[in-house]
Amino acid sequence: MSGDTAVGQVFNLPVHQGQVANLPHAKPTRTRREFVREACCGFSGLALASLLHDEQLRAASSNPLAAKRPHLPAKAKSIIFLFMAGGPSHVETFDPKPLLNKLNGQRRPEEFGEAKYQFVHEDARLLGTKRTFRKYGESGIEVSDLFPHTATCIDDIAVLRSCHGDSVVHSAAQYELFSGRVVPGFPSMGSWLLYGLGAESQSLPSYVVMPDPKGALEAGQPMYAHGILPAVYQPTMFRPGDRPVLNLDLPKHVTAQQRRRTLQFLRSLNESTLDPADEEFSARINAYDVAFRMQTEAPEVFDLSREPQETLDLYGIGSEPTNDYGRRCLFARKLVENGVRFTCVVSGGGPGNMQWDAHGDIEENHLRKAAETDRPVAGLLKDLKRRGLLDSTLVLWGGEFGRSPDAQSPTGGRDHHNLGFSMWMAGGGIRGGQAVGATDAIGLKAVEKPCHFRDIHTTILHQLGLDQHQLTYPHLGRDERLTFLEGRVIEEIV
Amino acid sequence: MTVLCLVVMSSLVLRAEDADGVRFFREKIEPVLKAQCYSCHSRQADELQGGLRLDFKAAVLRGGDNGPAVVAGKSGESLLIQAIRHEGDLVMPPKKPKLTDKTIADFVKWVEMGAPDPRDREPTDADDSKFEKARKHWAFQPIRRMGTLARPAVLSDEGTGKSAHPTDKRTLIRRVTFDLIGLPPTPEEVEAFVGDESAEAYEKVVDRLLASRHFGEKAAQQWLDVVRFAESEGYEYDRHIPGAWRYRDYVIDSFNKDKPFDRFLVEQIAGDEIEPENRECLTASIFHRLGPVRRNAGNTDIALSRNEVLTERTDILGSAILGLTVGCARCHNHKLEPILQKDYYRLQAYLAATEEHNIVLATSDEQAAWEIETKKGKDEIARVQKQAKDATDAAEKDRLAQLVEELEDRLPAPLPTIPSTHNDFAKRTAIHVLKRGVWENKGEPVQPRPLSVLTADQVAELSPGETQPRSQLAKWLTSPNHPLTARVIANRIWQQHFGVGLVKTANDFGLKGEKPSDPELLDWLAATLIDNGWRLKPLHRLMVLSEAYRGSRGEGRGASGDQNKATVLPSVSPLTPHPSPLLRRLSAEEIRDAMLAVSGRLNPKAGGPSVIVPVDPELVDLLYKPSQWAITADVTEHDRRSVYLIAKRNLRLPFFENLDAPALQTSCARRESSTHPPQALELLNGTLANDLALAFARRLKRECSSDHEKTIDRAFRLALGRAPTANELQRSSEFLHEQPLGEFTLALFNLNEFLYVR
Repeated sequence: MSGDTAVGQVFNLPVHQGQVANLPHAKPTRTRREFVREACCGFSGLALASLLHDEQLRAASSNPLAAKRPHLPAKAKSIIFLFMAGGPSHVETFDPKPLLNKLNGQRRPEEFGEAKYQFVHEDARLLGTKRTFRKYGESGIEVSDLFPHTATCIDDIAVLRSCHGDSVVHSAAQYELFSGRVVPGFPSMGSWLLYGLGAESQSLPSYVVMPDPKGALEAGQPMYAHGILPAVYQPTMFRPGDRPVLNLDLPKHVTAQQRRRTLQFLRSLNESTLDPADEEFSARINAYDVAFRMQTEAPEVFDLSREPQETLDLYGIGSEPTNDYGRRCLFARKLVENGVRFTCVVSGGGPGNMQWDAHGDIEENHLRKAAETDRPVAGLLKDLKRRGLLDSTLVLWGGEFGRSPDAQSPTGGRDHHNLGFSMWMAGGGIRGGQAVGATDAIGLKAVEKPCHFRDIHTTILHQLGLDQHQLTYPHLGRDERLTFLEGRVIEEIV
Repeated sequence: MTVLCLVVMSSLVLRAEDADGVRFFREKIEPVLKAQCYSCHSRQADELQGGLRLDFKAAVLRGGDNGPAVVAGKSGESLLIQAIRHEGDLVMPPKKPKLTDKTIADFVKWVEMGAPDPRDREPTDADDSKFEKARKHWAFQPIRRMGTLARPAVLSDEGTGKSAHPTDKRTLIRRVTFDLIGLPPTPEEVEAFVGDESAEAYEKVVDRLLASRHFGEKAAQQWLDVVRFAESEGYEYDRHIPGAWRYRDYVIDSFNKDKPFDRFLVEQIAGDEIEPENRECLTASIFHRLGPVRRNAGNTDIALSRNEVLTERTDILGSAILGLTVGCARCHNHKLEPILQKDYYRLQAYLAATEEHNIVLATSDEQAAWEIETKKGKDEIARVQKQAKDATDAAEKDRLAQLVEELEDRLPAPLPTIPSTHNDFAKRTAIHVLKRGVWENKGEPVQPRPLSVLTADQVAELSPGETQPRSQLAKWLTSPNHPLTARVIANRIWQQHFGVGLVKTANDFGLKGEKPSDPELLDWLAATLIDNGWRLKPLHRLMVLSEAYRGSRGEGRGASGDQNKATVLPSVSPLTPHPSPLLRRLSAEEIRDAMLAVSGRLNPKAGGPSVIVPVDPELVDLLYKPSQWAITADVTEHDRRSVYLIAKRNLRLPFFENLDAPALQTSCARRESSTHPPQALELLNGTLANDLALAFARRLKRECSSDHEKTIDRAFRLALGRAPTANELQRSSEFLHEQPLGEFTLALFNLNEFLYVR
């Protein structure tokens, strides 16, 4: 089955299974077949045989990744999260604050209230920005000179200027951004989506993370992981280069021809020694078929050599400093095209200054990080749009927090800041060309229509047709969900 | 004079009208208080508002943060009246329609009457009907004792020696060997059992396995899952806890020597209190160090961090030992269980003085030398850090920051350490009920006390002067009368052998958890455990010897069974399924260990520091400090059993992650068993599977030279514990004719029959 067929199937087929929330979460290994045998021990062999045949037919739908119908009508079917790790400054990007410049070098006036910081001390001074803002598009939303390319897409973008979270340290804030909890161990957005909707692609992993090859992030891999959900909902971490998926390549000592033969042999032994009517075993045999298909079909998706030069240019591929992020953004488009549910493209990794974590010098850091990402991000939005994919793909941009209006260092750095910052969404039914919510006059606190991470999660789920209260998984006596506490759909943008 | 007169008079009048007043209160006032006020102003409140309670007389008169609620006889001065009239700042009840004029008039009348109120004493848990009902929950009842004679029928060990069909015997020994030691039986062990016609044949196998030192290695894994054992702290730094592996060895040794389970718990909860000089007890106390710990640079919020640590340490007591979701009561009274928020903090109070205490196992000379070396390194780091601070150039700053990291990596390795705990009463954290679980919102202070639902009302909180608080906690938990501890562990052992517990939710025996499928059986097991001096091996033994465990053999899955055998037929109706072990996929660790064993590469060494094996370098680069993944130099160590591989929170082996090993962050009550394509890719293309398939091939070549038939026979016996069928022999022979032996052995590792036990 090609990727395209799979997509078509998912969207044309009616119900595969019931409401997600009512699905049995942990399928006991004891199969219905055993039950049937026990219950019908007095029946004739014929009746049993026909029941077993029926079971055999059902085996296909026992796949936990089978596409599932959403709870509500869906507007989007995929998410691309452009994760600006380390925390980009809101006052340098999407949230102009003229008063901050006026108060540059002064103590923060008391009326703005208090803030807890990781590094900034009480005697800190406010830090104005050197960036200039300009109105873009028909909507006239102001964007700073860091993002001249992204700004040209502003009419497709809904800027959220009043985001806030609960932690001011990286690891906990990153966990909350991904999983709704400030502690590790809970499923990330991508795992929840996969659990709620199943997979579309038969030849690609459905939840992909493309880390920045420059290094790690504070919260580490548990941030992206499936946590309490079964391993089937885990992310696939892409490696740098043309062969991003671990184990997709054959070991060096084997040829593809040989391995095909080995698989045939394996299948024949499995079928001759074990009852193929057994649901569990059929699922496993099926997993090998899909694995083989991934092995042959996925590499085509990762091959960028057949992309036209114009497309490569659009993403800034082949020139610096955009080549790396551009390549990964183009991968993201190709993954979406092939039915991948959730793709996270990380900008930033390794020591803080290699992320958006501009403690030392906001100018140097943000000019560099913006230059790496601005063109690729705009390229991705434009490419999705012209291919008609933007309608069904929700693009989310942002970090685990913003940056402090207060200066951290004499060289003009800013500390972490979780009380008010900007993120944006585009596509996937989001109404662009508007800025929602506001921070106070110096960008310290979200004061108008505050938007917590859980509200962002709720909105994402909503666009994908999932209800935060129905998408649950039992764990230690609680029906856990992505939003932890109740989130709200950001009505202004949907 | 007149005033005094009036007061005296009115009080006389009231006394005379006492009965009427009480009736008025009962009829007009109390129902309104209950319906409109108690949810925020009584013992039942999730979060008491304004410090005010209205559920007994003294509290009403004493009032809350704003002063008395009611001034008897003076409605005009009574805050309660002002609030329901919406006269002042307080508007009650909040977010609800104003009370009717009639009701307000009743309240005014009641206050003017002198606020008669028969509720003389503070209500207790027992007064709460919901709580009282919850107390009757099965799991809170004493374990019913039916005597050892009343052994449930499913546990009958009759007929263990009956000569069963040889095929059944092969299946049985494979299952029981994996279940008890986590490894496949050798072909020799299988043949010995099949050939042993004696009545004790099966019993001999079971006793051999229970005595094997591999028994503890297998049994430990479930406990390690439950206590979310890991050797690093998680979060940003994911610091390795020096010597955390000692806890893993402690658990293995304890299970191997069949340490009584009550003692096992006491040592973990209070080892450093009861025998502070005993290394084993100090090692057991690592239990409190196992949760994730968030550390951060810059402004550290000491009280917040302490609160996070205490939360971890408290929650795990609930999940692992009590089988109750006490963690849910951290922010509010438990919505579903009879666990008050106050109970949660009282449980936490047992740990209020517990602090980290690293015990260095080295001579004073060694320590002194280590300290000198470390100081040298740290001074150098401080020097570079200062340089970095003073540097103005960003690139130079980065370079120096990099250098600091390198110097940190070069600091001397920690000396042998037991990362234990001790009590430090000077630093004792004052424990309060925390509103919404936020450490800054301190409510009522509390002292240690067992959960109310399991305790008589008159039991007081422990004195703050108690010098061994955790010993008191352990004593309560391991009391033979405790209804949960024995049931919870008996159920876990059942789950180990039958795939699913009698209570399916092994960490949740509360109202929300599943009910036991066979309550009598569970109680019989729990009582037997206690009567046997809390020894676990007899419990394992009677389970695997039971008819239930042996009963479902040969039910005819595939070619090997015989469907007409009488034992196949269920003896009970399908609605109350006869317990029998579930078909189960081997755990990630069992699959790796089985491949090692079958290929002849297993290094059976027991104990010692954890092994770090090579993984894909890109994964190591995703660690915040890639140097933490210091691969064990001795490559023979890489072939040790999985339980000895490092459990690192931020880098789990992809092989384990893929095959449903737990995330190491929260307690895992039961392994999931999922099936997905990346598993197939891991087992087909992964380095581990391919390396071991080649090793398996080399072993076969060694043992069978190039005789195809002999090779195939031996390979099947090693991997599956049986000879190939004629059909399999033919297919295999054809395959080997044209394909390398390493592909044949890889196919065997990927067979369903290899990956599952029946």
